[in-house]
Amino acid sequence: MIFKSEHIAKSFGKHKVLKDISFKLEAGTITGIVGENGSGKSVLMEIIVGIRNADKGTVNKNGRIGYCPQRAMLFPHLTVQEHFIYFSVAYGIDKEQSKRRSEELLHHFNYKKYLQEKIINLSGGTQQKLNLSISLLHKPDLLILDEPYNGFDWDTYQRFWDYTNHLKKRGCAVLIVTHLLSEKERLDHIYELENGIFV
Amino acid sequence: MTVNKVITGLSMILRMLVRQKIVIILLLIIPAFFLTIVEFTTSDRMLPFQLASLNDDVFINISEKGISFIFFAVASSGFLVSFLALNLIQKNNTVNRRLIICGYHPIELLISILLALFLVVALIAIYVGILTNAFYTIDNLGRFILSLVLIGFVYGSYGLAIGSLVKAELEGILLIVLLVNIDVGWLQNPLFYAEAQNQIIIKFLPAYFPSQTAIITAVTDYSAVNAIGNGIVYGLGFLIFSMVIFFFKMRTK
Repeated sequence: MIFKSEHIAKSFGKHKVLKDISFKLEAGTITGIVGENGSGKSVLMEIIVGIRNADKGTVNKNGRIGYCPQRAMLFPHLTVQEHFIYFSVAYGIDKEQSKRRSEELLHHFNYKKYLQEKIINLSGGTQQKLNLSISLLHKPDLLILDEPYNGFDWDTYQRFWDYTNHLKKRGCAVLIVTHLLSEKERLDHIYELENGIFV
Repeated sequence: MTVNKVITGLSMILRMLVRQKIVIILLLIIPAFFLTIVEFTTSDRMLPFQLASLNDDVFINISEKGISFIFFAVASSGFLVSFLALNLIQKNNTVNRRLIICGYHPIELLISILLALFLVVALIAIYVGILTNAFYTIDNLGRFILSLVLIGFVYGSYGLAIGSLVKAELEGILLIVLLVNIDVGWLQNPLFYAEAQNQIIIKFLPAYFPSQTAIITAVTDYSAVNAIGNGIVYGLGFLIFSMVIFFFKMRTK
């Protein structure tokens, strides 16, 4: 088991966003969390990743974690290549491995030509490709994706699912937050978040 | 903590700063603009005054133009460094948080920011010192530049504290402009200070010790050790405050 959460609860003032959330993720599975806008999906992701504290409950994680936030979190004045360098250092990846991994991801998501471009000069879709690539750079055991394909064209969307299935075969546990119920058939498990609980 | 992380952080922060054209324009234009205004608006009449940090029997004789140049050099340095410090700590807050999630320790990131800020403080002090000297000959240029480093340290630390505390950019800029304007831009002017009704309030403001140091070092041979020491303590207070806030905001839960 890669991940387990028990009885997570979170409130903002009087508003109870999450009431009692318990679930677990096994290696080599793709799990989806669906729910309407404002249902607390992103808050749950932030608690899992460690950006926020839960008011109650426990979260246990094993292995390397990759996190792709909903909105591209990037430095506007750095280039794509500099992002790979900066985040490789953060992950503790050596130069050789970092170069190999970034080449692989640039090739797979088809944006190698933007390597030397600054983020402010990139389209939203290309920024999102880099946003996703950063979460994959260190070959995570648990990958947490918060609506990762915002701004992707159809080709990139297909490439995203190809790569996600490749990660699944490799034994990675993938958790995807989405509002697209049409993706149900791609998921091994699905949880629907409504009024702060899974229904 | 790894040195590699700090050096990479420093390198990336400096690249980002250099690539923001507005930052470079501000750095070059603001001090030159302030000092040019002084050149055209002040007279050469002599103004003898006493300085709060020196003994009562010491009178400083300097022209209105001379004291205005020194005063505006301090004000522009304080404003620029404070603004840049705010920019450094606040602007990339969310991405810095991501770096921490990915493996950076908040302290490693903070040290990178502080090193970048120190470099910026030194560069601004040298630039403004040399520029001021081009308008008005400073007796002890080296010591004067060090006094500009001191105002940079105090107001840079203030900028970091505001950046750590306040989320919105506009509120941060407002808090900086307000204090810089009232403190460095007005109350610390020795001509105003000499006539002020309540001097004790002025002594507690952040720019008091750096301003005193700047005037002592620029036009006298007196020691400024006490003012420098007190200024460093003041700056350290802001710095420690900002570090604590940054650490608790940025650490992963």
